[in-house]
Amino acid sequence: MGAVPREAAAAVLPEESRARYSWDLVVLCAVVATGLIIPFQIAFLRRVDVLGSVAVYVLDLVFLVDMRLNLRTSFRRGGSEIRDRSEIARHYRQAGFRTDLLGVIPVDLLVLGSGAALGGVPLALLFRVNRLLRVARALRGFRRWERLRWTNTGYLRIAKLLIGVLLLIHWVACGWFLVAVLEGFPADSWVAKAGLENVDRGSQYLRSLYWGFVTTTTVGYGDITPSKNAEYAFTVVVMIVGASMYALIIGSIASLVSSIDAAKTAFWERVDGVGQYLRARGVPEPLQEQVRDYYEYVWDRYRGADARQLLRDIPDSIRLEVLFHLAHELIERVPLFRHGDVAMRNALLAALEPRVFVAGSHVVGAGEVADGLYFVSSGRLVIVDPSGEPSSGELEAGDYFGDLSLLLGERRTCSVRAVTHSDIFFLPSAEFERLKSRHPEFREALREIAAGKSDKLAELVAKGCIL
Amino acid sequence: MSMSESGGITVVRFDGNLDTNTAPEAQERFDELAGQGVGKVLVDFERLDYISSAGLRVLLATAKKLRSGGGNLRLCNLNETVAEVFEISGFSTIFAVFPTEVEALEGF
Repeated sequence: MGAVPREAAAAVLPEESRARYSWDLVVLCAVVATGLIIPFQIAFLRRVDVLGSVAVYVLDLVFLVDMRLNLRTSFRRGGSEIRDRSEIARHYRQAGFRTDLLGVIPVDLLVLGSGAALGGVPLALLFRVNRLLRVARALRGFRRWERLRWTNTGYLRIAKLLIGVLLLIHWVACGWFLVAVLEGFPADSWVAKAGLENVDRGSQYLRSLYWGFVTTTTVGYGDITPSKNAEYAFTVVVMIVGASMYALIIGSIASLVSSIDAAKTAFWERVDGVGQYLRARGVPEPLQEQVRDYYEYVWDRYRGADARQLLRDIPDSIRLEVLFHLAHELIERVPLFRHGDVAMRNALLAALEPRVFVAGSHVVGAGEVADGLYFVSSGRLVIVDPSGEPSSGELEAGDYFGDLSLLLGERRTCSVRAVTHSDIFFLPSAEFERLKSRHPEFREALREIAAGKSDKLAELVAKGCIL
Repeated sequence: MSMSESGGITVVRFDGNLDTNTAPEAQERFDELAGQGVGKVLVDFERLDYISSAGLRVLLATAKKLRSGGGNLRLCNLNETVAEVFEISGFSTIFAVFPTEVEALEGF
């Protein structure tokens, strides 16, 4: 009894898997091929040839496999992955199954050998048109990729727009030529006026495509114009579609351009705002540059995200794991993390606050009251004497300071200045006390580590430097 | 601050705080001891409540002086607060720290 669901679960393809995304790419190519081949066969080939039919049936096969895979692909609902096969089937029936089914029914087989035609176009070709419904399937693939977010979704939207425009103009070109075909190329049809009845298919397609572009983009050179009623009717439809498409393209591109770099634009707008304020208030130039350096560093390293705010937004359960990855440099370098058990390490990680210091800025200053421990994650810092001389030594990744002033309850007598841009994890004094009282091994770990740096600390104390 | 001598070992006892106010006097007394050629000094912290950075500095300087003259400085009876400062700062590895006076005197 218990083995059945396990087997069923094993046969389910996870929605967010490389295999599924790759298959979606195959299907997208098949959709584009279907969208190009079938209208071209109807308007320009107008005969059922072996190669064209094989291509169409191979594509059918791809979509049959796709439907089978859709019945085995998990989906997400309310943030969790549904892997139950019957649930998957129900979900698929509600979303896309009917369109997919209509798109694979080989209606053309009914009339394949009959030779029946409409206006010179074999019915077997016309009856292949239901396969164009597959375009809806391509949209579902795009939605899945957008969720994966392997790239900025703006690029995906551009790809979707380009494919959509390409197919639409191809269909317009095929339709425009088909209007003349169905009328039998009368002398006043656009094809006859352009002298295209007996030229090669490539030229016929190129002219049709040209008219499609000229009309849908609302350029309208007027060198190819409608003269038959059907042509006028078709042109009106294309104009309506073209004008809407034009508006859609312009609107989409405008929003895409701003959305691709939305985060960057918003970040630098904020920085410009700060810059203008500082200039208006007469803040000295070097200080303004330091502020800008800070923002540049924050952009380069964190893409403008405020780590503290972001971490607050993430629920506690995941935050620890995120912190673990964010602080991996620190964990590798600070010996404190190598001591104690997982519970202590997690408590320490959860209590740490990331802080960024640009080159030249003060991390802590002489005269300040002890507020916590500072763990250096990256960068280089220098200890500055009470006299202002940077001669009391340097601190680098893995070092920490702030413990002595905290333990002695004294004000600092030295400062620490960042020599390079530095990332620091700060442990507030309240958290330090809490860790000490709840995790005895924290104190033990500090003791072991302190033993290794006692000479350096003794030297500082002897000089009167308390950090 | 009081001093006593037994068996070639000088025992120094602090009362209250060893901070900026009391450190100069302590430094003077330790310097006197070093000047007299005393080598073995045991500092009993039983009645010491608090030590500041100034106090630590005195101890560091004294230990250095004694060691250069072939002597040594031992500490004992640290209360919880003072013991924590020594432990977490790593000074417990610089100084020889003992739980009781008896243990500190053994083998000095």
